[in-house]
Amino acid sequence: MISFESVTKIYNVKNVRKLILDDVSFVFENRRNIAIMGHNGAGKSTLMRMLAGIEPATTGRIGRDEKVSWPMGFSAGFNGTMTGVENARFVARIYGENTESVLEQVQDFAELGASLDLPISTYSSGMKARLAFGLSLAVNFECYLIDEITAVGDRRFKKKSEAALKDKIRDARVIMISHSEKTIRDYCDSGVLVYGSKLYFYDDLDDLIADYRKFC
Amino acid sequence: MFRLIWLQIRVVSALTLRETRMTFGTSHAGYLWAIVQPLVSISFLVSLFYLIGRQSPYGTSLALFFSTAILTLECYNKLSVSLMRAFTSNKSLLTYPMIKETDTLFARLLLIACTFIVIDVVFYTGLILFNLATLPAHPEKIVMAFLATCALGFGVGTINAIMYQRNQAWQHFEKTLARPLFFLSGVFYIPSLMPPEAVAVLRWNPILHLVEWTREGYYANYQSEVLDISYPLSVATVLVMVGLFWERISRKQRA
Repeated sequence: MISFESVTKIYNVKNVRKLILDDVSFVFENRRNIAIMGHNGAGKSTLMRMLAGIEPATTGRIGRDEKVSWPMGFSAGFNGTMTGVENARFVARIYGENTESVLEQVQDFAELGASLDLPISTYSSGMKARLAFGLSLAVNFECYLIDEITAVGDRRFKKKSEAALKDKIRDARVIMISHSEKTIRDYCDSGVLVYGSKLYFYDDLDDLIADYRKFC
Repeated sequence: MFRLIWLQIRVVSALTLRETRMTFGTSHAGYLWAIVQPLVSISFLVSLFYLIGRQSPYGTSLALFFSTAILTLECYNKLSVSLMRAFTSNKSLLTYPMIKETDTLFARLLLIACTFIVIDVVFYTGLILFNLATLPAHPEKIVMAFLATCALGFGVGTINAIMYQRNQAWQHFEKTLARPLFFLSGVFYIPSLMPPEAVAVLRWNPILHLVEWTREGYYANYQSEVLDISYPLSVATVLVMVGLFWERISRKQRA
């Protein structure tokens, strides 16, 4: 469960004040696979970073009682001068996982072969995404945050990732941002609409998609 | 509570390993450089003094006299400079929610303190083996002075990190402030033998006190008239508290 208690989020960029969330109290209930929808710039990605605990609330409290992933499709946490193996070990350590078993799973899943022993700065963006995805599967999160499933790698790898993710959410759950109706119906059972600095919960995906079409 | 402490230990130790890798590279030779650096400055000073025919200001060993000061000063310098960039060069780490900016400070403190423990042990052992030094008379004083040096470097480094993140020009300012420390820290003279006018100025430098403390620890009869251990300790305590408190209250606006 991730709970927001009177959370307000304001951005100040170059004297432009942007209200992302306005006194929102909301609970992302356990075991629900939740889609996040909203128009561009509504604050979906900011919301996701707040769920992950990367971005603090301006006021209010955010509480978590499950192990939440970093927003996936996001490889910014890697250090370019360290090798893939070293980065994977580091992530395993901070999440308290067994480094060798994480490494084994990453090697198995990401199919990077000998490149794992090269510095990340030599990786293509596809390779980085593979590593990040493999790593987040290996860490065993209880809640996976996914910011737009992007096409990682070739068709075969995409298929494999989809299968792996679906396998994962039998024990874990996802909160994902997507504009694609198909993806949402594939993975989610409920949704949240980000609109006018507020969050609206939908128990039913049809209602969510209808309102998304109406308002966004 | 126990879980939080365990998490903290896990994060800081993972970060320390990472910092070690970043600082020294993958080869074991990287660690050697850390020892070579102070070795070069001390050898340079020793040969200079030897060439102009000067005796050691205290005791018989020039190398030991310089080492007690330079190792202390280097440890402080390393901390204050390396912590300065802890926030800016670790931005990507904030992807992981359990890592707070202070953790990167603690990791660097731990790495540098451990490095200097190794450097100090290697150095003094080397000097003893080459008959350039005897065993320290009061090792406990050396340990205390070392811990106080780490605390002072950590306090200054934390404040440097905050200032540097606000404005990168701070590094030039810091460099200018730190430059005279080599001359003000009693590296090649005995502070107690300086004229009272000079002592009145020098005693404001907390590092001078730390050097004197180390020397009282190493030499059996070194009696400093300048040393007041409560001074560097209180400066360090105040700076550490100010630094950490400031980091905490400015965290949101810096994010």
